[in-house]
Formats: sequence, structure tokens, C-alpha cells
Amino acid sequence: MTGATTKSAQMIRFLGFVSLLCGVLIVGAHITSQSRIRVNQEEILRESLAQLLPGMTRQVIYIVTPTGKLASAASGESGGKRIFAGFDAGGKFLGVVLEASERGYADVISAMYAYSPGSQTITGFSVLEMKETPGLGNKIGSDPDFLANFKALDTTHPVAAVKHGKKTNPWEIDAISGATISSRAVGRMLAASVQEMAPIIARHRDRIERGN
Amino acid sequence: MKETAPNPFINGLWRQNPTFVQILGMCPTLAITNSVQNAIAMGLATAFVLICSNGLIAAIRKHVPKQVRIATYIAIIATAVTVTDYLVKAISISVYKALGPFIPLIVANCLVLERAEGFAAKKPVIPSMMDGAGMGLGFAFGLTCLGTVREVLGAGTFLGIHLFGPNFEPWVLFLLPPGGFISLAIWLLIFASYRERKDRRERARAALLTIQPAEVQS
Amino acid sequence: MSGTTIIEVRTSPHLHGPMTVETIMRHVIYALLPIAAFFSWHFGLSAALLLAVTTAGCVLAEHTACRLSGKRSTVNDYSAAITGLLLGLTLPPGLPLWMAVVGCLVAILPGKLLFGGLGSNVFNPALVGRAFLQAAFPVAVTNYTPGLAANRFVEFIPSTWAVPLMKPAPLNDWLAKVAVDGFTGATPLAMQKFDHIYSELGPLLWGLGPGSLPGCLILLCGAYLVVRGMMDWRITASMIAGAAATGGIFHLVNPALYPDPVWVVFTGGLLLGATFMATDPVASPVTPRGMWIYGLLMGVLTVLIRNLGGLPEGVMYAILFGNALSPLIDRLTPPRPYGARKAQVPQ
Repeated sequence: MTGATTKSAQMIRFLGFVSLLCGVLIVGAHITSQSRIRVNQEEILRESLAQLLPGMTRQVIYIVTPTGKLASAASGESGGKRIFAGFDAGGKFLGVVLEASERGYADVISAMYAYSPGSQTITGFSVLEMKETPGLGNKIGSDPDFLANFKALDTTHPVAAVKHGKKTNPWEIDAISGATISSRAVGRMLAASVQEMAPIIARHRDRIERGN
Repeated sequence: MKETAPNPFINGLWRQNPTFVQILGMCPTLAITNSVQNAIAMGLATAFVLICSNGLIAAIRKHVPKQVRIATYIAIIATAVTVTDYLVKAISISVYKALGPFIPLIVANCLVLERAEGFAAKKPVIPSMMDGAGMGLGFAFGLTCLGTVREVLGAGTFLGIHLFGPNFEPWVLFLLPPGGFISLAIWLLIFASYRERKDRRERARAALLTIQPAEVQS
Repeated sequence: MSGTTIIEVRTSPHLHGPMTVETIMRHVIYALLPIAAFFSWHFGLSAALLLAVTTAGCVLAEHTACRLSGKRSTVNDYSAAITGLLLGLTLPPGLPLWMAVVGCLVAILPGKLLFGGLGSNVFNPALVGRAFLQAAFPVAVTNYTPGLAANRFVEFIPSTWAVPLMKPAPLNDWLAKVAVDGFTGATPLAMQKFDHIYSELGPLLWGLGPGSLPGCLILLCGAYLVVRGMMDWRITASMIAGAAATGGIFHLVNPALYPDPVWVVFTGGLLLGATFMATDPVASPVTPRGMWIYGLLMGVLTVLIRNLGGLPEGVMYAILFGNALSPLIDRLTPPRPYGARKAQVPQ
């Protein structure tokens, strides 16, 4: 240690050196990890899409422009809602996956769901992020009985969650007992998202099913 | 009593364990021990930061002007944390999401700065890195202890493996914040009673020794 | 507590006879027995077994813990048995017995003995156990089964016998077999809060609704203790008054959303809590003025939690909160020595 006689210039020189060292280390780590991080992110996206559209091998991403038109994500458009169209190995159209979010019991729940433009049904649902109560509300992401609601949920009628055991119509979601608030949030989320997105998808259905 | 310089690795892992003896870094200890996987990941991330920052600080310790030493340490620790942040993201996005803001917050873990100022600033590189590894793994051990109680009771699983079958009734409380405090209290109780018993034994032995006057050292 | 102590801790002169902790506690048990009997009659075998298990569980836990720490067992003062009985009365009759045992252990070990046993506990131990169960098993603890089922004296509620650590089997089949018409499993409070369905008040007074005990019986049993000079009526009275007043204000503001004061008082666990738990002599203030403040505060809190919080019932948390504040209340309301002026009261 150089003690109390250190000159200001010396201190500044030393801090400059430390900053340079830190900067080099951080930038180096960023460059080396960047490609791997991007691969990971795409992997996660593909996994969650394939989970909703079984058999999917290729996805095309569209972005809804503010004027309600469809732009392909490759064109560099960004900011609007995303529509993921999924195709199987033979190039057959499987359905689209949409993102939705809604305030739950603890915080915003964000989720993805599969939508089939042909039959106008929701065919799958998975939660991306939530902070619902463990053991109660967070069952919306895992409870098999609850997820069974989304095998063929009719959307021609506004989707809504009803109390556990009271489901009678194909557009109703059978809520989880003890997690009615979280279940209702899922219902509102899907109802709002379908209402907004279904007309856009219907308008561009040909293009989406062709996948260009 | 003999007081040899303790092995820095064992010292951190056990005798000065950050969680159970020094009670440092309580924020991540309570916040992200609701599963064993998170606990281990957080512990290893902290260990990695400690090894890097201790090693770097020890390497430049002779050139650091006293007046700017804290600024230097913080810059180095922040660098190590940022690198760790990228690293975790590159290894697994899902672990990264589970740990959330707590990886950047390693910067604010008093354990890291305390080891820089208390050990790495005075000792050579290799012992400093050993100390970082010991403290870091000791921290990981503490987090894993808590994580085990919380995951086994709160979800009936260990590292995601079901222990009791699908009919297990989860003790929801243990996944919530109060469960963190309760499990920490349980472990502190266990370790404190263990230490007390050991101390009592050692005192009894020391008392026995003093009876033979010729053998006593000053 | 070792030896016999005089419990009258107010300002002198002590005119009461030497009433021991044991005597008082024994009489509290006498006062609780009719309520326990009603609970068992109303819900049947499962309820009786639940009360037996919680009482035995608390007594055994205290006895074993005392022995393990090398102290004289303190179960002879009956306080552990009271804790057990009260804990059992606050739980749904079909609660799996293994959960009830967990509740006993939490009530006695951290709730009571960790603080130093009877006389040192900060919180009412039964409510500590109940609060832990509520947080750990929120579904099981709020799942009430219908009372007065036809075969309740020959058959257990199936969930009672759930294997330790395991979920109780779904009750749907059993409920379909025994159910009284239109039974939903929700208590009157939950139905009022979440679905705005009012249960009739009459049955609630006599304890025939699901999930509540007869208000009149509880008040009668409490009156027995008051008459014998073993319990202070102020806490009970002020807690009921606080709840009724607050409930009344809410009712006046929006009668459609909030129930009237009589309903507020006679539903849920308010009367049981106000009579037997809030009055815990250890965890409540000792001066009459302090008792009034303490009771009113808990009554107000109960209704605030019920009407504005996320839970249908707030008595438990209100009492625990009151327990935590009672040392402070004691400090703020020191008794004035006879003849002393206000300014001369030593701090």
C-alpha cells in the first residue's frame, strides 16, 4: 500500500486502470456469452410453442402493426403484438400461438395460448410468468384438471371462468377450487385477447396459414 | 488454547459459515431458497463472484491507494457480478428467471465486500481465492439447507423429484416468505445447540488440563 | 409455573382469596366442556375425535418437551389441555388428524414453551397453532363439512383419517351421500363475503349453521366464569362492542354489501375468540382501561379484516395482533395509585 502520501494523479491513474480492466472483462464476457444466450432464448421459445402445438417443427413470427396490418418479424417491425404460426414437418399449418397477460391475485400473469382459426377454439394454454400463491393460485400453470379446460375451448362466445364444478358450456373454464381469483384472471385474459386478436387473424388467415 | 491460522477454505465452509455463524447475506437467504435448485444456483453464483473478486483484489492489493480502495473493490465486485449474470443467462434461462433480480443484487451482499476488505486486501492470491471458495460454498451450503426444508415440506420434492408421491399435501407456508424465516430459525437453533454442546465439552476438557500445573502453557 | 401463585395482579388491596392457576384453569375447562359437547353432537364422531386428539396432543407435547429439557412437567396446571380444546374448536371437524397434531406441536413448542411456558407466552398458543395451520394448509383448514349429518355418530368424515403428509381424499362422494340440500362447503361468512348470500340468523344463534358454534351457549359458559370471578368481562364486552360498532358503520354505508351488527357478532369465531381466547390472562393487558382499549381494538380489526381484507374471517389475526400490542397497552395505561395525581404517576 502506498500510504497517505499518494498523489491525486496517482489515484486517478489507478482508478482509470481498474475501470479499464473491468470494462474489458465485462465486454469480453458479453461478447462471448451473447450467441449462447440468443440460442437459449430461441430454444425456450420453441419449446413453449411446441408444447402448445404438438408436432410443431417450424414457426413463423408475425407482428401486428398499429394499423391492424400484419408484418413478418423478419422485416424488422417491432413493438406490436406477436402472432406465432406453427407448422409441422410436412409444412402443414397447426395453429397460432398468442401472448396474453392480465392482473392476477398477486401480480400480472403472462401466458401463451394456442388458437385454432379454423374451429375458433383455444387448444392449449401455458403460463410464462406469475407470482400467484404457491400451492393455490400457481396451480393455473400445472393443475391437469384446469389445463384440460383448454383442449377445445369455444371462443365464439365470450370465454369466462366459473366456480369449480359448475362448467356446463364449452366456452366456460372450470376454476380451481381455492384459486378462483387466479382462475378468473385467466378467463378475463383469454376473453380480452381473443376479442382483440381473432378478427385480425381471421382477416389475414390465408397469409398466416401459408406461412409467408 | 492453540490458535493456529485456520485453513481459509475450511474456515469459510464451516467455522465462520456465512449463513449460520456470521449471519450475512440474509436477503438472498430468505428470498430464493424456496427450492433446492434455486438455492444451489444462487450459492454457486455467489461463490463464483467471491472467488473472482477475492482473487483480483488480492492480485492488485499492493498497488491500491488507501483512499480509493472501497471504490476499487466495488468496481471489481460489480464486474464479477455482471460477468456472472451473463454466465447464468448463457447456462440456463430458466434458472436466470427463477433467480430474478437477486443475481445483480449479489453486489450488495455484505459478505462479498466483507471478504474483500477483511481477507483479500491483506493476503496473497491463492489463499484469497481459497477463502472465497470456502465462504461461497459455505453460503451455498447454508442456502441448500434452507432450500431442502422448504422444498421438501412446501412441495414434497427434492430437486424436483417427488418424495412422497402425487398425493402429498404441500405445506404452502414454507414456499411463502414466512417459511423462509421459520426454516432459518430451525437451522440456527440446530447449529447453535450443536456449537453450545461442543463449547461445553471443550471447556470441560480445558478445565481438566489446568489441573496439571506443569503442563499449562501461558 | 411452579408452586401456587395468586393470579389477582391488579393494584392492591388484594381482597380475593387464594385462587390458584390450577383452580382457574380447571374451571375454564368446565366452561369449555358444554361447547365441546355441542361441537361433538353437531358434527359427530370426527369432531369428538378431533377434540380428543388436539387436547391429548397439546398435553403430550408439553409433557415431552418439559421432560426432554430436564424440567418438571407443567401439564398439571391444565393450560395445555385448554390450548388443545380451543385449538380443536377452531378447526373444521373433518380436518385430517395429522394436521391437527402439527397444529398442537406448533401451538405448544414455539407458541408457548419457547417463550418460557405459561405466564410468558406473548400470543395465545391455540391461535398460534391455528394461524400456522391456516397458512400451511389453507384449503383443508377452511373446508367445513355439514353438521347434523344423519350417520354422524356411526361414521367418521373420510378426510379425518388421511395418511400423514398426504392429501385427504376428495369428499364429493361422501358429501353427496350425506349432504343437506344446497350445501356448498362454505361457512356463512364466506358465502356472505364472496357470493353475498345471507344465512338465516336464527340457526346461527343456536349453532346449527355450518362452521359456527352457538353464540348463546358460548356467552352462557363465559358468564359462568365471570360470575365465579375467574374472567374479566371487559375484554369480551369491549371486543363485541368494537365489532358491532364497526360493523354497524359499514352496514349503514352500504347495507347491500355489509351485514348488520347482530349478524357480525354471531357469525364466525367472534364470540368464541372474544370469550375464551382474547381473555387469555397472560397475553392481554391487566388494567381495566387497558382491557377496554385492547378489546375495542380487536373488535374493530376483526370487522376491518372481514370487510376489507382478502379473508372471510378476521378474529384470529385480530386477536394475535391484539396480543402483540398488549404490552404496549399496559405501558400506556398504568394504574394510578390511590390518591395520586395524574402528573405524579411514575413512568
